[in-house]
Amino acid sequence: MDFGSFYDFPHLLDRMMGEVSQPYAAGGRQVAFPPLYIGESDGTVVVRALIPGARLEDVELTLTDKMLVLKGELKPVQGKYYRQERPTGPFQRVVRVNVPVSAEDVRATMKDGVLEVVLPKTSAVRPQAIRIESR
Amino acid sequence: MHQNQTPERCGKAPRIRPAADFVEREDGFYLYLDMPGVSREALSVHVEDDELSIQGRSNHGLCNGERVHAMEFGDVEYHAQFALTDNMDTRHIGAQLANGVLSIYIPRREAQEPRRIRIEVI
Repeated sequence: MDFGSFYDFPHLLDRMMGEVSQPYAAGGRQVAFPPLYIGESDGTVVVRALIPGARLEDVELTLTDKMLVLKGELKPVQGKYYRQERPTGPFQRVVRVNVPVSAEDVRATMKDGVLEVVLPKTSAVRPQAIRIESR
Repeated sequence: MHQNQTPERCGKAPRIRPAADFVEREDGFYLYLDMPGVSREALSVHVEDDELSIQGRSNHGLCNGERVHAMEFGDVEYHAQFALTDNMDTRHIGAQLANGVLSIYIPRREAQEPRRIRIEVI
């Protein structure tokens, strides 16, 4: 099995899904908004996104069979702008998850502008130690 | 994309200036700085002379042994400095950190009425 194909790098898929992402210059280079981190351990897949300024009600998460879709909107503040560098407007990122996850056990939290989604793998795909008996 | 090796960004915290909005409203000026992953303990805001300086370090807890499939951000040291102007009340600046955004309120200083100087003719 090619484990490298578990996750597609999201940019191409975002474009196919009609993404309206904003450039995010704070990291010194422009990437799609919000920037993502995707990590995997034996038991879980973890997706983190930097969405400073977003409240819980501004973000919508959906998990379909093989896709985690993160979408929302950041609204500009009121007042007369002298400088505007923070991204505003609708955003969407799509992460293809090719490993079976337990949808009902997915947990999402927001802290300090960071969204974290923890997707536990179903027990079928978790590596399990198999006892070897000698004969 | 799949990486079995430790990504280059692990353990590094480059120094960057956070994305900033500067807005004026009726009651004064507002500065908003995106600093996701920075806790209150890892943040400092100082006003000295006519300069506002901000420092903060993010701690995302990345690179803890997970296999990394995508890494579009890492930890950073945020640094920002802003010059305060005469029409700002530098003694009553307020700051709050919420949802990864540092909001700084700078009240407007009331303009001093121009003093009329009587000129006597001698």
